[in-house]
Amino acid sequence: MNDTRVPWLRPVVALFVGAVFFMPLYLVLVNVFKHGADIVPDPAGLPSPPTMDNIAAVLSRADNLFVYGLVNSVAVTAISITILTVLSAMLGHYIARSRHLLAKVVMVTLLCGLLIPSPVILAPITMVLRALGLMSTAPGLILVNLGYYVPFGVLLFMGFVKSVPLELEEAARLDGASTFRTFWQVVFPLLRPASASVLIFLGVWIWNDFLTPLIVLGPDSGTTVTVGVYRAIGEHQSDFGSVFAFMFLATLPILVFYLALQSSFVKGLTGGAIKG
Amino acid sequence: MTHTRHGVRGGDPPAAHRPPLPSGPTPLRDRPPRDRPPRGRRRVSGRITTFALFALPGLLAYLLFVLVPIGMTAYYSMTNRNPFNPPTKWVGLRNYAELLGDAEFLKALANTVVVTVIVMVLANVGGLLIAQLLDRPTRLYVALRGVFFTPVVLSSVVVSVIWQVVLTDDGLLNSALRGLGVEDPPGWLSDPGIALYTIAWVITWQMLGFCVVVYLAGLQGVPRELQEAAAIDGCGPLARFRNVTWPMLAPALTINTVMLLITGFKAYDQIQVITNGGPGTGTTTTMAFQVVQTSFNGNRVGYGSAMAAVMLVLVACVSVLVLRVLQRREVTR
Repeated sequence: MNDTRVPWLRPVVALFVGAVFFMPLYLVLVNVFKHGADIVPDPAGLPSPPTMDNIAAVLSRADNLFVYGLVNSVAVTAISITILTVLSAMLGHYIARSRHLLAKVVMVTLLCGLLIPSPVILAPITMVLRALGLMSTAPGLILVNLGYYVPFGVLLFMGFVKSVPLELEEAARLDGASTFRTFWQVVFPLLRPASASVLIFLGVWIWNDFLTPLIVLGPDSGTTVTVGVYRAIGEHQSDFGSVFAFMFLATLPILVFYLALQSSFVKGLTGGAIKG
Repeated sequence: MTHTRHGVRGGDPPAAHRPPLPSGPTPLRDRPPRDRPPRGRRRVSGRITTFALFALPGLLAYLLFVLVPIGMTAYYSMTNRNPFNPPTKWVGLRNYAELLGDAEFLKALANTVVVTVIVMVLANVGGLLIAQLLDRPTRLYVALRGVFFTPVVLSSVVVSVIWQVVLTDDGLLNSALRGLGVEDPPGWLSDPGIALYTIAWVITWQMLGFCVVVYLAGLQGVPRELQEAAAIDGCGPLARFRNVTWPMLAPALTINTVMLLITGFKAYDQIQVITNGGPGTGTTTTMAFQVVQTSFNGNRVGYGSAMAAVMLVLVACVSVLVLRVLQRREVTR
């Protein structure tokens, strides 16, 4: 495409492709604020006047599917990503700095974990959780998240630790700081871009995860909002308004979380990606 | 800082250039330069403490919820375990033999391959084209990048529900098509010949933004001078893309392809939400779907474990193979 000869072509094509791509999301956004009866005759029209009935209906469900799900999702996601950041930062630091053979073995073992699809290990995971008495509990789900996502966190932190000059750590150690203190007061603050990437990547993934919470939390003891979306469509397939409102509300928190940290997210994505 | 350097690297400057030492006793300097034994022992115990403190917590979680389950999958794949039908007995490789003749599993395997290949090709090509289109720094294009990236942040359950509403027989797309005068619009999700491709499309739509962002990052790394030099040498836009841009996008291609490969291979959510394996029997099942069905709905944990083991080996082998091939391309560019 030649910008100098046909200057209007690129923006027009870009806008058109973007609009077609965005169409499904647009349909959700406008129909959240429409009455159910108005959706089918005119799905693409703007809501006039916009109504909050669908959203109110989801928030005041008799079974509290959304509210309980939201509490579970926030708790599981926040606790998981906080612990994951700490654990994988320390483990990544250990692997990046240690020249011991054991560290190499640990690294290769963890990297293999990146390739494992969760359905493959889900059945035995439920057995492990039952043995620990943690099946169908939020702490159980958090522990599963820790084990499953720690390789990704380690991968990101490993690369960043190598960019921190070793001299800084040596200086801190000569000043009498312990390895632990050196890490937390000297190295960890310098790893902030990596920490942001890990928090956002894993925050989005854990919030959006479907199969693991579906199986681990089970049908009885509450769900996450993502599983809640699935439950909600089972009940009122034809009531598009409330289904859309449920999805809208279930997505809003993670979207806000993501947008708040977006710049470092994309930076982390490309930094880790291109430099390998 | 300088002290640190000399101490660690042992690079003391020659005595002649050293500034005169301050007078007075300097007890440290009189000590023999090496006192290895105590230091060495401290280092070993220090190393163990470091390992226990830094590595062990994360590794324990990984061991308990990834490595042990893999071992259990391997073990149970050679049993007839069924929690509602004890006792569990050792059956050797019989489960694997049964898999070879299991039409449902083979269909799921074929479906998985079809979905993965379509997603890999479409998302890579589409992502590259859109990245080229949006590779301008003005606000319009930056905003459009956000549009394409949005589905990446959404849950695949949400994406699946959206497309289900759009694509069901009386859904929004077919209503629109009828409004445009199409008499008999396709049953995107109800026609057994189409549904699998619809699923592949839904996954592609969600992953497209990821590829766009990675390719855009790759395009930032292509120096303008190279493009200009090629243009001066008489290369047209296509030749420039082929000989300059494309080779420099090799790392981006590697990341996207491996990411799409893993995503396609483990496709589960879209099937569970949109088609539940149908229409008909097994027209849109995938390996992941089949594994979960067998282990949790059919309770045949032993047989499901054999499926899971096959799936794991396939994912690992194909990923490593693709990674090797693509990375060799990166090195020799």
